[in-house]
Amino acid sequence: MNQQLIISIGREFGSGGHEVAEILAARYGMPLYDNNLLHEIATHKNVNVKNLTKYDERPRNMLFSRSVHGYSNSPEENLAKIQFDYLRRKADDGESFVIVGRCAEEILAEYGCMVSVFILGDLPKKLERVSKKYGVTPAEARGMLLLNDKKRKVYHNYYCKGKWGDSRNYELSINSSRIGVEKTAELIAAYISEKYGRNV
Amino acid sequence: MAAQILAVIIFVMMFLLIISEKIERHIVTLLCGLVTLVLVFGLCMHSGRAVLDTLNLRGIFKLNFWYAPGSSEEASVGINWATIIFIAGMMVMVEGMARAGFFRWLCITIAKAVRYKTIPIFITFMLMSAVLAMFIDSITVILFLAAVTVELGQMLRFDPRPMILSEIFCANLGGSATMCGDPPNIIVGTSLGYSFADFITHTGVIAGLSLIFVVVYFFLCFRKKLSVSDGAAADPASFPTPASAIKDRRSFAVSTGIFLIAIALLVTHAMTGLTVAFIGLFIAAITLAAAGRGALKLLKLVDYKTLLFFIGLFVVVGGLEQTGILETVADLIGRICGGNMYLMVAIIVWVSGFASAFVDNIPFAATMIPIIRSLASAPGINLDVLAWSLSMGTDVGGSATPIGASANVVGTSVAAREGHPIGWGQYCKYMFPATLIVMLISMLFIWFQYV
Repeated sequence: MNQQLIISIGREFGSGGHEVAEILAARYGMPLYDNNLLHEIATHKNVNVKNLTKYDERPRNMLFSRSVHGYSNSPEENLAKIQFDYLRRKADDGESFVIVGRCAEEILAEYGCMVSVFILGDLPKKLERVSKKYGVTPAEARGMLLLNDKKRKVYHNYYCKGKWGDSRNYELSINSSRIGVEKTAELIAAYISEKYGRNV
Repeated sequence: MAAQILAVIIFVMMFLLIISEKIERHIVTLLCGLVTLVLVFGLCMHSGRAVLDTLNLRGIFKLNFWYAPGSSEEASVGINWATIIFIAGMMVMVEGMARAGFFRWLCITIAKAVRYKTIPIFITFMLMSAVLAMFIDSITVILFLAAVTVELGQMLRFDPRPMILSEIFCANLGGSATMCGDPPNIIVGTSLGYSFADFITHTGVIAGLSLIFVVVYFFLCFRKKLSVSDGAAADPASFPTPASAIKDRRSFAVSTGIFLIAIALLVTHAMTGLTVAFIGLFIAAITLAAAGRGALKLLKLVDYKTLLFFIGLFVVVGGLEQTGILETVADLIGRICGGNMYLMVAIIVWVSGFASAFVDNIPFAATMIPIIRSLASAPGINLDVLAWSLSMGTDVGGSATPIGASANVVGTSVAAREGHPIGWGQYCKYMFPATLIVMLISMLFIWFQYV
């Protein structure tokens, strides 16, 4: 790969967005960052990652938070900012990577080398995937789906101007249920080739 | 009646908007202040005098605003310009000190003096936090202290969170000791005409006594956590030196000198007759003069938003005052207490403390001042006692929760940004009991000493 490439994947819970990200990371030989970003940050700052994971991808609690001169007592907000800064630093250093979630489509919007994608899915397919992956009943899967999507939406919309899942914020919005995870990844790769040529 | 209802609605709206953080707080108070001037004073009261009294601009042009020999400065209503000018002056001085590397130098000097041993650093940093916060705003104190604590934690392999929590508490406690330590005290002092000496000999004694208990309390809470890796894993070559903190020797010497002058002027202001407004202006002027070409840059660093926040806030509280709402509240408290000073002190300490644990203590203190002034107009009620109760309640109560005081927010944020998040549970587990201890000490001290 000759030029820097960043692929940002936003996703609905159960849409297979993470699998799409894995396929793309393998295809381009790039690191994939999701919650493993926290492990890297924890190693870098010499702290226990367990202290951080419970605050990951969570919105700030409005009732129990306060800001003073740009400082916030919210661990969730501080952790989100650490991750955003870390991603920006990686992008500044010229690193190519695939990033799942973490508001990357907006945080890294200024980098021309970024392709932003949102993966969505049909409810029955998402329920089927979640039931199979986590070994839960469809009813439990529905609960997990609603909870996780709500969490992601609130988290995203707190830190970003653009709304989570709104197609206007992403270069591509693809329903993975219609063509499957593999074909979705291929479609994104085709778009990347079209956008940047054969150099990537 | 319409004016009273409107003044209350504006006040409640202001509080809700500040808490929601949807709009910057200085814009909230300024807009609410403007609405108070137009709707409450203009439309409902048709009172130009209320507007003039609340804007309180005439006072600035009087000699006793700047120089009041033989007595404390005149008690004021409406916008408390003395508070605003003093805080602005101290902001300029603190920016100068921070740029010169004073705070980092002090932290590293103390850490070096105790040979970079964790427990001695823990104790000395608590004391330093309290002493610095007596003269400098607690946000600045914690900003530097927490950053150095995290750095030392990485080198000496200790969890910096217990130390940062203790420093936050001591900064808030230290701020309660003096007239210039915490914004509520500046407001209480300038509004009711108290001097630096008045505070240090009353709230200062309570804070000093409380500090002994607090240091012992935090030592007992955290000694095991902090003594686990008492400097064992650290490489002495990696320790920072005090000299490395100084960015420019000349600026460092000048800013240290100005800081000492500020302390001297504050300590002696009741004797010299120089008011805190004069001291603030003078300190800002010599800091800017010493900065030379950097003066403009220094001025740009001043937190104008906080000053504007104060101006708007005083106008909104002026609306409550002019419409007689605060007198009604004072009457209610007076009736509940039935002239019992013990009960009145207890109510002021605990209500102030509880409120300050959840909402900004600055608007609370500003609102309470006319109330205690009104309460003290009754025979047998001593204003001084109520003022010390209010100061201790608002200053100390803010320590109880992560959102109670600015230092808490800044300290926990600095820790979290370095990978050491502090949630509500962990914060309150240690800080809430400490707050209760100090508030109890404050109430008992005031009861036995003054009532």
